[in-house]
Amino acid sequence: MSRLRRILFFVIPIISIPAIFVYDVIRAAVDLDVPSMVYVREGLIVLSFSSIYFLIEDRRTRNRGIATKEIGRLLMVSIAALVMTGTVSFFQLASQTNQEVPHFRQSSLALFLSTFVGVILGIFAIYTLQTVKDLTMFKRRKGTRRNYAFYLVSMLCACAGGVPFISTEAGIVATIFFPLSILAGILNSFKQNWIVYLSRREKIYSIIYSALLFLALLFLNLLLVQNSAGSKALEAFSRPLRTFVQINAIVGAIYFGMSFVSTLFHLPTAEVFERKQSELNSLHNLGRLVTQVFDFNDLVNTVTQMTTEVCGAKSAWLELLQSDEKTGLLNVNVVSQRNISREEIDTLAAQDNNSFRRLMLDSRKVVLIDDLWNDRRTKHVKERGSLKGSLLSVPLVAHAELIGVLHATKDFANGFDQDDIDVMTTFADHVTIALENSKLIAKSIERERLQQELEVARKMQLRLLPQRMPQIPFVDVAAVSVSSLEVGGDYYDFVSLRDGHLGIVVGDVSGKGVSAAFYMAEVKGIFLSLSKICTSPRDLLVRANQSLVESLEKNAFISLLYAILDGKNGRLTLARAGHCPLVHVSGTRCELVRPTGLGLGLTDGKIFEESTEERTIDLHKDDVCLFYTDGVTESRNSQGDEYGYERLVDAALRTRNFSADEIKNRILEDVRTFTGNRTYNDDMTLVVIKWNGSSRGKV
Amino acid sequence: MSDFKVNHRDGEGVSVIELKGYLDAHTATELENAFQKLLNEKKYRIVVNCKDLSYISSAGLGVFMAYIEDVRKNKGDIKLSNMSPKVFNVFDLLGFPILYEIYKDEKEAVVRFTEGKKS
Repeated sequence: MSRLRRILFFVIPIISIPAIFVYDVIRAAVDLDVPSMVYVREGLIVLSFSSIYFLIEDRRTRNRGIATKEIGRLLMVSIAALVMTGTVSFFQLASQTNQEVPHFRQSSLALFLSTFVGVILGIFAIYTLQTVKDLTMFKRRKGTRRNYAFYLVSMLCACAGGVPFISTEAGIVATIFFPLSILAGILNSFKQNWIVYLSRREKIYSIIYSALLFLALLFLNLLLVQNSAGSKALEAFSRPLRTFVQINAIVGAIYFGMSFVSTLFHLPTAEVFERKQSELNSLHNLGRLVTQVFDFNDLVNTVTQMTTEVCGAKSAWLELLQSDEKTGLLNVNVVSQRNISREEIDTLAAQDNNSFRRLMLDSRKVVLIDDLWNDRRTKHVKERGSLKGSLLSVPLVAHAELIGVLHATKDFANGFDQDDIDVMTTFADHVTIALENSKLIAKSIERERLQQELEVARKMQLRLLPQRMPQIPFVDVAAVSVSSLEVGGDYYDFVSLRDGHLGIVVGDVSGKGVSAAFYMAEVKGIFLSLSKICTSPRDLLVRANQSLVESLEKNAFISLLYAILDGKNGRLTLARAGHCPLVHVSGTRCELVRPTGLGLGLTDGKIFEESTEERTIDLHKDDVCLFYTDGVTESRNSQGDEYGYERLVDAALRTRNFSADEIKNRILEDVRTFTGNRTYNDDMTLVVIKWNGSSRGKV
Repeated sequence: MSDFKVNHRDGEGVSVIELKGYLDAHTATELENAFQKLLNEKKYRIVVNCKDLSYISSAGLGVFMAYIEDVRKNKGDIKLSNMSPKVFNVFDLLGFPILYEIYKDEKEAVVRFTEGKKS
């Protein structure tokens, strides 16, 4: 309702009612009788009370409370009306006994009291009407509205019959409609649906209020019986209003009398209803579970808390089954508990064959123990003297697999009924879904994390490889390394040594992924530091092995081919640590150079040193040397054949007249043609060294 | 990769593991489990028959490295036999013949164990 209308509805009665009073006083004094003014007067009264009706309704819709509160308010209004009317009646009885109606008009005090009683009882009647209306219409069924409309119409007709100077037929109308409206009121009084939704406590209050209200309305009715002082005072103000008040008082008394009886009968079921309500609320709250899947601890704590809520349990705990990775046995872990100690849980779940936990694991069905102390499954609890009462255990089953058990206890025997079991079973399903979701999310986060780690390792590894080719006189160098996975195990590097010497290393770290990247970093560090010290490749490998054998894992090793090229003199000195042999192309001859040698990290010092050989080759002008990893020779085509050494040697011979870069590209192309452009199933590295000859060649 | 198989049989105090198919990073765990099982049973005299082994990767070679130390500590050994030339080349490239006894025939490897016992 807008502010303006509210002010209007407020102003109308404030002006009208005093106006009526003034008019009454004047008429009493002057004894003037204008018949038309009677209608104006009644019209003003109807207008005023209509305004009051809307004001009260507006106020009520803005502070609508629960039914009990509404009844309480009406009780206050009724008592106020009762007290005031009673006082006025007493006052008048005491001062003017046996006075006829016209006598009131002679006294302005009497007129004032009459107006006062009219307003008070009018407000009371409107309040009663609205409260009864709200309660009747609480739950609308088909007939509810119609019955109520019938009540309203007959009541208004009865009131209209009371308008003075309406033809005598109107009097008959009133006598017909008055009982009719009471009848309708009785019909309406069966609509007591609001009681059902009250809590037990509210019901008790409602019983008290209804009883008091019934009594208050009864007294009010007594005050208003025909020819009583109150009745006369009210009639002097307005006859229709008297009818209105009377009908509402009677109907109100009937309605709340009925409420009292109904509530009384509803009281025994109050608790059941209340529990159903809270179960329903808890199940609605299951949404909370869904939002908490990101934090496992929050989730399991909410689960136990809600378990106690849904079935009114005293304590609850959640067990999850986790299979041990090593032994494959199932472990039962209590992940969350509420109002129960770990000792008590352990006592209950004593692991013998009769224990209820065993039973649960085997049967995967709901286990209900009505009396912990006297049940054969949990008799041992009695001896320890802890945990009296009843226990309900519900399995959590996901994808036909038992993932956990939800337990609830009550501290009295036979605490769980069929409803509890049903609710817990439903609840358990939701818990299972939430737990599974939580697991899935954790997994995907973990995968994401691994992906990022691999990305970091890949970037790191790429930086470990040379960023550009070394520039050494008389030496043409080209290199390529492709990786099948994010992080491969191949490594190659160059180091410029003094006097135009070039150190060339190609290696393969066993294993892939992050650990391979770390080993590669280690190898690079060792290589860079030792290459400056060791002039002999064999020496370098021996010392590298010493460092690596200690730091590598048992099942990890590194194969390496290390060569020092004297650019000026075309002399290549190499040693091999378990790596693929060097391909040496000289003219139309091609040789696989394979000095003996063990992989790095396979065995310690002495054997390695004894078995590692060093070899020196004198290069001729335009000789080509290929360093590579087994990814090249072990590349497979769709028939499962390996590329092999022969094809590599052939390719080297075919391409020997090109530049190092071109040789590299053509051999790679040859491998790709062989494999049929299948994705590489291994890492592949190829380093091409071509010696362009020098003064030595000319000599 | 899925056609890799580890067969295990016992005889004359020597355990024989037969390898079949591809031994790479994916299938290495199967061989690891086989070795672990023998070690748990305190069987340290092991012959690995590579007759049907068609390929071995560095991860596969790593499996032997992982167990040889424990086996030898317990006065046992891992001997290899019946390798195809291609597989032998992989072992050879890395220098395995220096570290492991490799025989042409399984019987020969088994005999070595029993001879060692007598002497």
